[in-house]
Amino acid sequence: MLVAFFESVKYVGHLLPISFLRVFLGYYYLQQALMKFKGDFLTRPRIADQIAEWLPASHAPNWYKLFMSSQIIPHWQSVAFIIVGLEFAIAISYIAGYVVRPVALLGVLLCFNMLFFSGPMSEDLYKTFLAIHFIMAWVGAGRCLGFDYYFFKRRRGIWW
Amino acid sequence: MKHFILFITVVFVGLFIAVINKAPDENKPQESTPILRIFGYASFTGQWGPGPGLKEIFEKDCGCQVQYIEGSDSGVLLQRLKIEGESLGADLVVGLDQFDLQKALAEQKWRELNISGLDVYDEVKPALQNNYFVPFDWGVLAFVIRKNELTQIPHSLDDLLLPELKRKIVIEDPRTSSPGMQFLYWVIRTKGEDEGFKYIQKTMEQVHSYAPTWSAAYGLFTKKQAKTALSYVTSPLYHQIEEKNNDFIALEFTEGHPLQYEFMGIPEFCKNCELAEKFVNLILSDAGQKLIMQKNYMFPIIKNVKEGTPFADVPHFKTLNDFQIPSAQEVERFLKKWSEIRRGEGN
Repeated sequence: MLVAFFESVKYVGHLLPISFLRVFLGYYYLQQALMKFKGDFLTRPRIADQIAEWLPASHAPNWYKLFMSSQIIPHWQSVAFIIVGLEFAIAISYIAGYVVRPVALLGVLLCFNMLFFSGPMSEDLYKTFLAIHFIMAWVGAGRCLGFDYYFFKRRRGIWW
Repeated sequence: MKHFILFITVVFVGLFIAVINKAPDENKPQESTPILRIFGYASFTGQWGPGPGLKEIFEKDCGCQVQYIEGSDSGVLLQRLKIEGESLGADLVVGLDQFDLQKALAEQKWRELNISGLDVYDEVKPALQNNYFVPFDWGVLAFVIRKNELTQIPHSLDDLLLPELKRKIVIEDPRTSSPGMQFLYWVIRTKGEDEGFKYIQKTMEQVHSYAPTWSAAYGLFTKKQAKTALSYVTSPLYHQIEEKNNDFIALEFTEGHPLQYEFMGIPEFCKNCELAEKFVNLILSDAGQKLIMQKNYMFPIIKNVKEGTPFADVPHFKTLNDFQIPSAQEVERFLKKWSEIRRGEGN
């Protein structure tokens, strides 16, 4: 598996720049997840505040706003846990290059939601991340300098 | 797919275990020093606001520690209070405005405050109508411009529709910001509801953006993204004192300007209620009022505090005479209508 990890550079070397972007983004998500985990994101309703603060001003459709206010805000603890979990999953997956494609799709989903309740200051950042996650999923960024290459070589299929 | 499900499961189970192991740290023994937790908006609690100065004065004598809990803007204080409730741990809430009071009373229980005997300015007297909230500063809202930037100076709300100001006005979003709500209510009060909303419809063409907070709106203006922004009559004074810049002026409109009061209140669930009351007294003392005036650039409520300071020379604008507090239902109706108009614009 380790041989395949490095061998990938030889066979899918054209993806190398994308791999660096992937690892960088993974590192960013790791920082974010650790910051949330060490801080009070999981114990205080930061996410509920954020949603309550920005959702009314967002361009999200009404049904989405209604759903967020009625279902997500009251269950902020579960939502905070899921967000931190997803950030850790994206971080590990991107750094190791393992199951990058499906995890990138989760990244798209996460960014899409964050777009609506993170406020105008972070809107551009999440739009950029959304595009990057989408590209990661599209090209299968885990195939170069990642463990996905090992499985891709043996199993093929759309998940690698 | 199997790998993916397994991977996600491992990550979440790992996180769950980590959270459970981390939980005991939350129950650290309480220190013996009582902590007064004050919930306020960022420009009050932040380093440029009066918060740090008040904290320093208070901690000298109280034998306690003051901790600020920061909310980004006065408009979102209530939302957070509603969501977090007692878990917020606030002993005192600072920065509610008159539009929040009805809602605040409906959503939370508050302790009665003894506010009799305050020698306040006449403009403030109508705001002392209830026993649960006391104002600590007030201001007159006005549009601020840079000198010599406009060929035609606006003198009324209708003048904001001048072609020169197309996409050049920054107003706060009434859904998230108190000055934004003030503007909406200003228009409705002076023009009537139907005409007012027709006017709001027209202003959509003129507005560069509806900023979520006052600081975001004013930031756009000072960065010259817009030619005018809704702010306070004291805003030019800020530029004069802090930046030695005399280029800013507040515009007087014929309609009369809205007054904004900022209130504080002690929630019923306070833990250090007596300390909170003492802090209220500090804010209402001459020293506290002076600090708030100098840091917030708002007028003090207690008489004679601003005399002899540059605040006494701020021009007196004609204001809307009667103090009206719309009901929570009215506010909701106005905001709904405003949102519909805004959506119709597709901005």
